[in-house]
Amino acid sequence: MTTGILNRDLEVETSGGSFPKTGSTYTPLPEKDEQGRVVASVVQTIRAEPEQLYRLWSDVSLFPRWQERVISVTQTGRGRSHWILSNHEDPDGKRFEFDSEITEDVPGRKLAWQSVSEEVDLSGAVTFIEAPSGRGTLVTLTQVFKVPLGLFGNAVAAVTKRSPRQIVTEDLRHFKQLAESGEIPSVKGQPHGPRGVSGEIKEWMYGETNPTPPGTSEVE
Amino acid sequence: MKAVCWMGKQSIEVHTVPDPEIINPHDAIIRVTRTAICGSDLHLYAGLIPSMESGDILGHEFMGIVEEVGSEVRKVKRGDRVVIPFTIACGNCLFCKGDLWSLCDNTNPNAQVAETMYGYSGSALFGYSHIYGGYAGGQAQYVRVPFADVGPLVLENDLPDDKVLFLSDIFPTGYQGAANANIKSGDTVAVWGCGPVGLFAIASAYMLGAQQVIAIDRFPERLALARQCGATTIDYSQDDVSIVEALRDLSGGVGPDSCIDCVGIEAHSHSAAGIYDKVKQTLKLETDRPFVLRQAIQAIRKGGTLSIPGVYGGVLDKVNFGAAFGKGIHMSMGQTHMHKFLKPLLKHVEEGHIDPSFLISHRVGIEDVPAMYEKWQKKEEGVTKIVIDPWVDSLAA
Repeated sequence: MTTGILNRDLEVETSGGSFPKTGSTYTPLPEKDEQGRVVASVVQTIRAEPEQLYRLWSDVSLFPRWQERVISVTQTGRGRSHWILSNHEDPDGKRFEFDSEITEDVPGRKLAWQSVSEEVDLSGAVTFIEAPSGRGTLVTLTQVFKVPLGLFGNAVAAVTKRSPRQIVTEDLRHFKQLAESGEIPSVKGQPHGPRGVSGEIKEWMYGETNPTPPGTSEVE
Repeated sequence: MKAVCWMGKQSIEVHTVPDPEIINPHDAIIRVTRTAICGSDLHLYAGLIPSMESGDILGHEFMGIVEEVGSEVRKVKRGDRVVIPFTIACGNCLFCKGDLWSLCDNTNPNAQVAETMYGYSGSALFGYSHIYGGYAGGQAQYVRVPFADVGPLVLENDLPDDKVLFLSDIFPTGYQGAANANIKSGDTVAVWGCGPVGLFAIASAYMLGAQQVIAIDRFPERLALARQCGATTIDYSQDDVSIVEALRDLSGGVGPDSCIDCVGIEAHSHSAAGIYDKVKQTLKLETDRPFVLRQAIQAIRKGGTLSIPGVYGGVLDKVNFGAAFGKGIHMSMGQTHMHKFLKPLLKHVEEGHIDPSFLISHRVGIEDVPAMYEKWQKKEEGVTKIVIDPWVDSLAA
């Protein structure tokens, strides 16, 4: 069910100089939110080679560096990994664990995955397609969050401050920032004057306590 | 360290806060030797820019000495004397590579907030609201500067701080205002606003070949500086002056080839339309007062170029887009692509073509800063530009 959700072709057709040409109709990326199942997609153009980005994404040990809420990912076998998710700001808070396996692997082009867990149903796919005019790589990420009895929804709510749609957007943004600039921008822990009442309330939306993954920062 | 903090609308305080530390591997910490209040800081002071929070450290015009560098900084080193551009750029995204530095993809930690308001996020700025990244600013003794190998301009001369400080914003911003105006040799250029950006736009318009620059303001001290830059000045507060008619007259009935709006969201007018905007802005029915924009669209010649370095923040009301269309004008705007202009403009200063310190009216210490915001907003004491030594408490007489 999950590996076929991406309707982007891996082969890009380039049109020649002849006329008339063969145009096409826009097909929206998968987006859905019904009966406890959320499908969210996002696309970014990243200035790097498809193979470089595929390798960066394939290194599961690096996920905690660029995805919010991921505490650790351990390779447990060929195409299998064990994930621990929690809230970075709340190390004593709720955390949950699950196994995940790679369901499709086209080296340099595509990865798809599916959780192997009774509690969590999380799947997704990412494709890396060379962008035209030397702009780098078109990266398309689709995630499917299934929420049996609201459990994953609660778990997501417990470890993140964002909606599932925004999680997918931020995940790919942070991946792009790390790949292009070598770090993830952050103002965490920077000095400021007295915040006052409303300033403290709003700090979690933006500011020094915004949940930013560490990227290449060495600050704990 | 001591830092100037925004504490609310019309409320600025100096607080002692922790020194900044390296967060990311491309960061540097700068010991600030000179900083300044920018005209755009007055928009923050007036409470017109959303997403400011109590305690935010202000300031985006600053320079100093590199105190410490992160593990991945290769070019800039401890002890270097640097001017810091107010926009923060990664140097490697589609936009940085395209010389559109102020539109960098990778420096705003709060890009989602900007995306909600604007569709896409531009680069982060120092000390200019959380929509623009929420980075602590430079009206302080120390500042953390991200991407230290990309932004900071290393100085290899012994020019005094006052002559190079304005490379951090207002000189490049005025220059881009003129460069965006598509000025050709022999052109007539009209500049609204003779604050720091307007004055540098006038000087830059002549550098780019303008035959005649017409400058519009109402404060005598600013109009005098505009004339020092070679402009023909118009005082719009004079009852018998119509700006559109004056510009028609001075351009031989054609209209100015280029118009430059160096005013932005806090435009002031004596007319009924000015009061209409002031009321709507106060009631939050519009965020910006686009009086200058309306006037420039009316005054510009057919097919002319309207350049807008003045800051706009949100939704405008009653802008005659039909006039813009009917006359086939070009418009160009946005935050300054600082990194593109730093070296060429430094060369102009080093070769003595321009001394940017000409517009400084006040030199103060850090404890004087809150009072200076109020004085500049009220246009008291002939303020044209305020520079700050953050290591001295008070220089005010």
